[in-house]
Amino acid sequence: MKKSTSNLEFKLFFRNRSAWIGILVLLLTGFAGLYFGKTFIANQQAVIEKAALLQKKNTLDNIKHFNKDIGLIFFHNKFSTANFPDRWAAFSNGQRDVNPYLISVTMLGIEGQLYDTDITNPVSMLLGNMDLSFVYLFLFPLVIIAFTYNLISEQQESGIWSLLKSQTNALANVIWQKFLIRITAVYAVAFLLLIAAVIYLHLSIDATLAAVAGLIILYLAFWFAVSMFIVSLGRSSSYNASALVAIWVAICLVIPASLNLLLTQKYGVPEALQNVINQREGYHEKWDMPKEVTMKPFFEHYPQLKKYPFPADKSFSWFWYYGMQQMGDDQAIKSRLAVADKLAARQDFTNIAALFFPTIQAQLAVNELAGSDLNAHLKFQQAVRNQHEKIRLHFYPSIFQEKDIASTDIKSIGLKKFIPTKVHDWSRLLSLLIWILVFSTIAFRNLKGNALIRNTDTE
Amino acid sequence: MPNITFTIAKQTYQSTFGNKATLVLTILLGLSLCLATYVGWQNFKTQNNQRLYYKNMVRAQWLSKPDKHPHRMAHYGYLAFREKHELSFFDFGIESFAGVSIFLEAHKQNTVNFSEAGFSNGMLRFGEISIAMVLQLLVPLLIFFLGYNSISAERESGTLKILLCQNVSWKKLLWGKTLGIIGVALTIFIPLILLTILLWASLSNWQISIDATLRLLILILSYSIYFFIVSAITVLVSAFQRSSKTALITLLSCWIFFVILMPRIIQAIGTKIHPTPSKIEFADAISEDIQKQGDSHDPNDPHFAAIKDSLLRKYQVDDVKKLPFNYGGYIMAEGERITSHIYSDHQRQLNNTFDKQNSFTVFAGLFNPYLSLKQISMALTASDFKTYVNFQNQAEAYRYGLAQKMNKLQIDKISNHSPGEHEKPLSISKSNWAEQPDFNYKFDHLSNVLRHELLSLMALFAWFIAILLLLQYSFKWIKTI
Repeated sequence: MKKSTSNLEFKLFFRNRSAWIGILVLLLTGFAGLYFGKTFIANQQAVIEKAALLQKKNTLDNIKHFNKDIGLIFFHNKFSTANFPDRWAAFSNGQRDVNPYLISVTMLGIEGQLYDTDITNPVSMLLGNMDLSFVYLFLFPLVIIAFTYNLISEQQESGIWSLLKSQTNALANVIWQKFLIRITAVYAVAFLLLIAAVIYLHLSIDATLAAVAGLIILYLAFWFAVSMFIVSLGRSSSYNASALVAIWVAICLVIPASLNLLLTQKYGVPEALQNVINQREGYHEKWDMPKEVTMKPFFEHYPQLKKYPFPADKSFSWFWYYGMQQMGDDQAIKSRLAVADKLAARQDFTNIAALFFPTIQAQLAVNELAGSDLNAHLKFQQAVRNQHEKIRLHFYPSIFQEKDIASTDIKSIGLKKFIPTKVHDWSRLLSLLIWILVFSTIAFRNLKGNALIRNTDTE
Repeated sequence: MPNITFTIAKQTYQSTFGNKATLVLTILLGLSLCLATYVGWQNFKTQNNQRLYYKNMVRAQWLSKPDKHPHRMAHYGYLAFREKHELSFFDFGIESFAGVSIFLEAHKQNTVNFSEAGFSNGMLRFGEISIAMVLQLLVPLLIFFLGYNSISAERESGTLKILLCQNVSWKKLLWGKTLGIIGVALTIFIPLILLTILLWASLSNWQISIDATLRLLILILSYSIYFFIVSAITVLVSAFQRSSKTALITLLSCWIFFVILMPRIIQAIGTKIHPTPSKIEFADAISEDIQKQGDSHDPNDPHFAAIKDSLLRKYQVDDVKKLPFNYGGYIMAEGERITSHIYSDHQRQLNNTFDKQNSFTVFAGLFNPYLSLKQISMALTASDFKTYVNFQNQAEAYRYGLAQKMNKLQIDKISNHSPGEHEKPLSISKSNWAEQPDFNYKFDHLSNVLRHELLSLMALFAWFIAILLLLQYSFKWIKTI
């Protein structure tokens, strides 16, 4: 008996045209998201491959041009480091369009080069990337709303409700059955898209997949819980639709957008501009100062380089020049750390906001899992700094002794690939779980209790 | 009989405000608008002040540099900061995604760095609350909520038939309802605009330019048309749909499609069809062109060897050191001319690519009034892509001017005999530095802005006309019952 009613409910749901429209919209945008997301990342991968070749070519060109002057070769020669995209980055492009994924720097001051941006179209960045995570985060909730807003009210409005009430004493069961069918349909589409993503993006079956799947399950469950809560208030279809869309607008647009503005206002980063000025002055002012102003702190920084004879009597030497460049970086340390502190404060603020708003939590979590968030970029910046330092220390002795370029291994230095360590912050899922429990408990109580029955009686 | 139309409008207006839920929604929206205005204004003030602060610091540092070789000054360079337009507190546009500062030096074109987006951990992707965002996204939603049942409710309660029997034509009914709803929207919009004008006037220290006044006027007009379009669509959907519920669902679906889904997909398609070159490819193409034309940094370059020969012949000397001016400066000036020209060509092509990408969104404005209004709003508040490109162009022109100014000083004032390895380097007086003026960004004239936004303006106007026609003639297809 029970099985046959659920079969009927199933048929009823799929006979509805709007059910198919909802599923179709999700599938179409989902596949479009997969396609655009993958194209975006594939393009970055192709550029990284090309950069590796170009670095070789440019090094040979520089050696050919400035053969006699080793200091000049390193003045011009760029060493690239690439933030190699994780396969999941195609699933969630995150901040990878805003932040450069390929940074090429010479041996000169790093702080003057590290923040150079990529070639980007700000309009595209403003309108946002079309990837699969967008479909999960923003469109799935809307379809959930569309599927559930009139779950009870439709029965009331068409007059079936009182009929149902008189014929069955397990109203909650009837509602639950309807609800279950919608949950099944939405999750089926969600998993179908996830499987498509695994195949199309060549994702490996590992902890990240489990984490993303867990995130999606909980995030969608959150929206079902919210929907159920509104539905359980027993108001009209129009009221439910308005309220649910209002909630969607609030926590997908208005509240995060307001919080972001607050964040910008509270944690502005003028230190970044100060940093540029510090680096520039720190280096350039040394031209007009006695050489020991540069060399004393330089040898304090690198005592191991003291053993190379410094040509103090020459008006210009590469030794001094690279020393001055180093001073730019050293004098910018304070402002650089101040920027880092500000960004950490921003991250803390966002993490706290995320506890209250599942949309923000899900967005942060998915970018973190895909390695496309700001933290991944900051780690990449640090990797570039490390690589830069390694190259500096490797070639300083040859430059300072003005050796022949042929005696160095400059040709063997290729593009450095940075692969970020995976972050799985399972605690992010916890806040989602709490919100699900809150809303579903209230919804359940409303359905079990008198609220609904009383409302229907007065109608 | 326009009286009936106004009676209906008045009645709609009053009943809308009589509804408690509406009142709450309207007040909430009004409050969020005030908040957006206040925060937008604060944001503008702090960011612009920061930029001005560093702009002044950079100028003071430039002037305080001691006597030195002009080429050292050319490498010391300048830092330019992108100023915000006074109206940008109204619409943030691409502000947060565009860089803020650019380092301008000889031989090298740098990128505009430190956009707000670069410091964002993903929150920015939800959008930014600004007056424009509230007016473009949320007011239409409010209008939908207010008006979805404006006609369908009359139909459902049976009053529609009575109305139509009592000398009220469909035309008057549609107009009356539309005017009533737009009246509600304007009740929020007008005080807010007054507040905006007041804020803006105080921002500019009560020194109001004609250009900015006109910008604001066109802005107000465009938003009013947009609200009219949205209100009329709401009433028409309510008239055409059988029930209030389906009317609401139709309107909400439209909102999601036009505001959330369509902009993203259209821009993604544009970017797919006209791909952006990568930075390394861009730089490589430029350096290839430079090598073809003449690379002053390459000692064996044929172009510069030819210049050297012709100079030696012209001045009848056998060594460049015997030339009556500084040969190094001359060569650098020529090198700068070539590289800067090539770079600007490539940059222009790149901007063309971006324009092509964005043109998809501009054209989509013909089918989506939200997109056309968005373009107009960003352009008028100088927070659009065109303004950003203008800044880049002006910065590059300044960079080129600075480099050539320093080359000129070197040619004229630096001896052609370079000092020996152990001698003091040549220099000129620091009094020369003041000759290089400060970088001051100039916003585009309104006439240029309007010319550039012609398509979007026409799209919005076309929507306006289409809606007028629909209100006048569509009743023939509406079913009364």
